[in-house]
Amino acid sequence: MTHSLHREGPLDLLSQEYVLFIYPARGFNYEGSGPKSRRLMEMLYHQGPANMLVTTLRRNMYSGIPQEEILNSIKDGAKIYCVFNDREKIRKTLTRIMEMDEGISIMVSGVIDRVRDVAAEVGLKPHTINLSLGIHGRRDRLPPADIRQFTTMCGHGMVSPSLIRDVIRRVKTGKLDFWNGSIVIAGPCSCGIVNPYRSAEMLKDLVPLYTVNRL
Amino acid sequence: MLIRKERCVGCGRCQPYCPVEAIYFEDLKSDVDQEKCYECGTCLRSQICPVDALEESPYMFDYPRALRKYFSDPNATHALTGIAGRGTEESKTNDVPNRVGPDEVGIAIEVGRPTLGMDLRNIQKITRAMAKAGITEIEAENPFNDMIQDHQTGDLKPELMGERVLSAIMEVKVKRTQLAHILGTLKEVAKEVDSVFCVDVITRLEPGLKVPAEVIRTIEAEGFTWRPNAKINLGLGRTNKRKES
Repeated sequence: MTHSLHREGPLDLLSQEYVLFIYPARGFNYEGSGPKSRRLMEMLYHQGPANMLVTTLRRNMYSGIPQEEILNSIKDGAKIYCVFNDREKIRKTLTRIMEMDEGISIMVSGVIDRVRDVAAEVGLKPHTINLSLGIHGRRDRLPPADIRQFTTMCGHGMVSPSLIRDVIRRVKTGKLDFWNGSIVIAGPCSCGIVNPYRSAEMLKDLVPLYTVNRL
Repeated sequence: MLIRKERCVGCGRCQPYCPVEAIYFEDLKSDVDQEKCYECGTCLRSQICPVDALEESPYMFDYPRALRKYFSDPNATHALTGIAGRGTEESKTNDVPNRVGPDEVGIAIEVGRPTLGMDLRNIQKITRAMAKAGITEIEAENPFNDMIQDHQTGDLKPELMGERVLSAIMEVKVKRTQLAHILGTLKEVAKEVDSVFCVDVITRLEPGLKVPAEVIRTIEAEGFTWRPNAKINLGLGRTNKRKES
């Protein structure tokens, strides 16, 4: 579970973002799913995702692992998680997935209206929706919303609020640029769906608002 | 997680990687607060330590501490279910087994998310409230089941009470008519827990990616709102012709 439905952030940036999951069903189409998942992942590389990971290796696109090693790790039951930051790319990807017709479950997580629009354009008939009814309980204990817009990109909570503050400090003091700061933020996420392009945009907005103690 | 004191050079680079700030300075070197540590392994996986001072605790898989690992490290596969992660496949593959049918809803309660985690005493408040509301059956393969001692009361196993997990997902499936009752229960128990939980509602879609009006009306009537983003199964999965073992 990647918690992608609870991603927070400015609506204009969330609207450009589409998280895609390829998910074999245990007991139904697990067996023989390895080659199908590999074909799908090879296709995804050509569509220009912002980030991607396969669960048999759990190292994201920016980890420095060669593509061949990532693809060779795929076996039956492997799940693929990836994120696009462009409507045209997800449209083309979904069209290709329909053409390939591998029979593996496909999920897209994004702003509902946007997904509805793309699904209708490519002729899909969505089956099930997982709605987020938000966060409940001691919300006062959460980090502030400007930090959560980064940390909630990783549903398992692997991206720490302290790391976001540390990256802001390092960008502010000239030790990292926006893009490399975003790659650092994406590193701990084991689902590979932290979107470094969105992180970079958000860092540009956020960094001027923070002060740094240089002592 | 442990830090080998003889190796640590006190650079502190590992500290910001800990999601719960369990790594701190002690005598100019980093140390891990074992009570706070969820055994998620983020610090070790980051490969940030320049002298390889981080190491997994030899007691990490001892029961009941092992729960921290299973429910906090996405790379760990739960010994009971054989599934990596905190929940099952819920909506992600619903187009194949049709686990959630047309007159049903799935409800997922993601305890401790985002990032705060939750101790088992607080989780028990939720399981007890759900049991009191008549929800005594949790999704069969959900590792949550392994924590429960008595499904009728929602009591967790007493030996787990000192443990904490970064995230666990309690998944149930009910008739749509029961949704209001459960949402009302969750609204009440939210006042009692000392952490956070996220609520998901999983439902079949009508043509044109339309959420059934009955579900929408219930959510609104119980004072909940839904986020503009959601996870949507596109209906492209199908079962293998040959039955799987």
